[in-house]
Amino acid sequence: MPTPTYDVLIVGSGHSGGMAAATLTALGVRCLMLNAGPVADLERDRVNKSAHDLPYRGFGKPGLHPHIFQANEYNANTWVDEAEVPYTHPTEAPYNWVRVRLVGGRSLFWARLSYRLSDFEFRAADHDGFGENWPIRHADLAPFYSRVEAQFKVVGRKEGWPQFPDGNFVESEGAFGSGQPDSECQKRITAAATKMGIGVSRLRAAMGDGALASSVNLSLPQAVASGKLDILPNAVVRQITTDPNTGRANGAIFLDRHTRQERRAKARVVVLAAGTLESTRLLLLSNLANSSGALGHYLTDQQYGCTVVASMPEARDGKANPKLIGGGLFVPRFRNLRKDEKRNFIRGYALPISTGSSADPKYFPEYGEALQKKLASYAGSCVSGSIYGDVLPRYENHVRLNTNQVDAWGIPTLHVDARYGDNERNLCKDAADTMEELYKAAGLEVIVKSEQVNPPGYSIHELGTCRMGDDPKKSVLNKWNQSHDVKNLFVVDGSSFATAGWQNPTLTILALSMRASEYLAAEFNKGNL
Amino acid sequence: MPIQRRRFVQAVAAASAAPALLAQPPAPIVPLKISTIAPDQASEPVLKFFTAVQFATLRHAAALLQPAYNNLPGAIEAEAPEFLDFLLAVSPPTRQTLYSNGLNHLAGEAKRLFSKDFAALSAEEADRIFKPLIVPWTFNPPPNPHQHFLTDLRADLRTATTNSAPYAAAAASSSRRGRGRTGAGLYWLPIDPTRR
Repeated sequence: MPTPTYDVLIVGSGHSGGMAAATLTALGVRCLMLNAGPVADLERDRVNKSAHDLPYRGFGKPGLHPHIFQANEYNANTWVDEAEVPYTHPTEAPYNWVRVRLVGGRSLFWARLSYRLSDFEFRAADHDGFGENWPIRHADLAPFYSRVEAQFKVVGRKEGWPQFPDGNFVESEGAFGSGQPDSECQKRITAAATKMGIGVSRLRAAMGDGALASSVNLSLPQAVASGKLDILPNAVVRQITTDPNTGRANGAIFLDRHTRQERRAKARVVVLAAGTLESTRLLLLSNLANSSGALGHYLTDQQYGCTVVASMPEARDGKANPKLIGGGLFVPRFRNLRKDEKRNFIRGYALPISTGSSADPKYFPEYGEALQKKLASYAGSCVSGSIYGDVLPRYENHVRLNTNQVDAWGIPTLHVDARYGDNERNLCKDAADTMEELYKAAGLEVIVKSEQVNPPGYSIHELGTCRMGDDPKKSVLNKWNQSHDVKNLFVVDGSSFATAGWQNPTLTILALSMRASEYLAAEFNKGNL
Repeated sequence: MPIQRRRFVQAVAAASAAPALLAQPPAPIVPLKISTIAPDQASEPVLKFFTAVQFATLRHAAALLQPAYNNLPGAIEAEAPEFLDFLLAVSPPTRQTLYSNGLNHLAGEAKRLFSKDFAALSAEEADRIFKPLIVPWTFNPPPNPHQHFLTDLRADLRTATTNSAPYAAAAASSSRRGRGRTGAGLYWLPIDPTRR
């Protein structure tokens, strides 16, 4: 049987690949999707267990996932095993690269927080002079945001703030559509913030369908149902192939994950959606799309950390109740919205705040019975805040191939060199000071204040390294997520971001993938690709 | 799981699996009715990592840091020290060093301050050794290795205790709200693991 040549080859099956598949197949384009890992059966592959029934009482196998703070013994089998797919980083600059190779990728596990970027991010260079603007504005992406919000059932409260663009939301009083009225604690924090000139909103989150808002239940099923998508799991791609005469992409070489047999898949167009660093790794391995020299550079993400925890005295000693305390708050970026604001950092951060939780024992200096009594007293009275902070995209934060190390399939690995600088540290300190001031003004007792920034990669929001732009000398992709160098090659995941922003990136990745895929389909059907 | 998603997952799984059709259906298998017991019902752990002095120090520290409380077992009843010996034996060297040096430091301070083994200290005496090692929490561990050790030991003893079978059994028999929360959750089995 002759090997079929597909219209489009999609590498990766997470949010960006799933959206590309759904969009392209709906427009009549025949696709093959290669995914490096297997399919998870959410009924067969998960069982309820008590921690004492696990081999390591919930600690997990020591040393198994040294860079994944989110790993525990329950989810240990879902992450990429670093023994199979290692990477390196400078000893003094740790990087947490958190990967999932199951069909659906990290869309199986994301926090579902869904915020649009604003023109403070798309036109960031115009605002503060650092780096490059995106080649698109919010208005270009707004129709696609709206469609994704409808598909993913995003809950949110409209505010009318330019730094926090409203969307096509399901209206709700409480976070995640609970309909819960504001608690006294939420009201006090909101009032204190208002006096400080800080706007307080609510979390915006994708409700999805049932317990999931993943490609495996929201985009891939409709693509499969179209009859125009073939999904091939356990296909570890090692190279994008090109026609030696035209330089155009014409498929990929992959290895069977189990047998390691090499195979070739053919297609007229290639879409990379393997996740920011894996897509860039593939381009570096294939020696493609790098006439600008920007490929692999401008790695960015969101910085997490900077924890400030307080307690509401009135809610201690068993007095916490839903009227008094509970519910989430969300403070979108409020710093550097004016060009004349003079601070020791540029860009900004958001503050997600939860109320009504119990304190982690590590926050208290007591031990033994004294600690137990304190935990009982503070149960349900705590307020916890942290940051989603913008990270500047710098050329020197980069990835490159490490030809001295290969993965389990003999493929060279990545070396990741990313560091936070003074801007990130100053931004984080400002966030900690602001939260402390806010809590005190709301009558709360501050228990813990940490200004430390978590390591790069911790947020699992790695972005950039394949950024889009109008100038082919400074960027890898054009405004349609299309390679400047190879016209039938698209990259639709987070690697296309020119700036990170403070916003969780998934909603933007989905909207970009939808927009790029519609452009691709139109050009393909016109015979331009 | 919604039907649509289940069908999709099944369809994808079927597409990737080799057909295994048999000419004759296999004979039905009668399940065996053999009851079994857990290891701790019939045996005790063999210590692998800590020295005798270190283990005695750990046990005394565990009794003081994570005592039984409110009819729920403490670290000793949960065999947390024995579990930590097992865990440390298979841990990376940096972790092993942190624990060994940390316990040696506690023992050394007991000798220096009270001319006693740590295991023989009163609660008040041990408190004089613990107090300088307890520092406010930050995301990164304290730079002082002994403070780092005690920070981790407190957390590890708590987890090893509340995630133990005795704790779960005691918590299950407790009906008061807020008592005895134990670890439980949805465990992901290995999914088509690579044959290495």
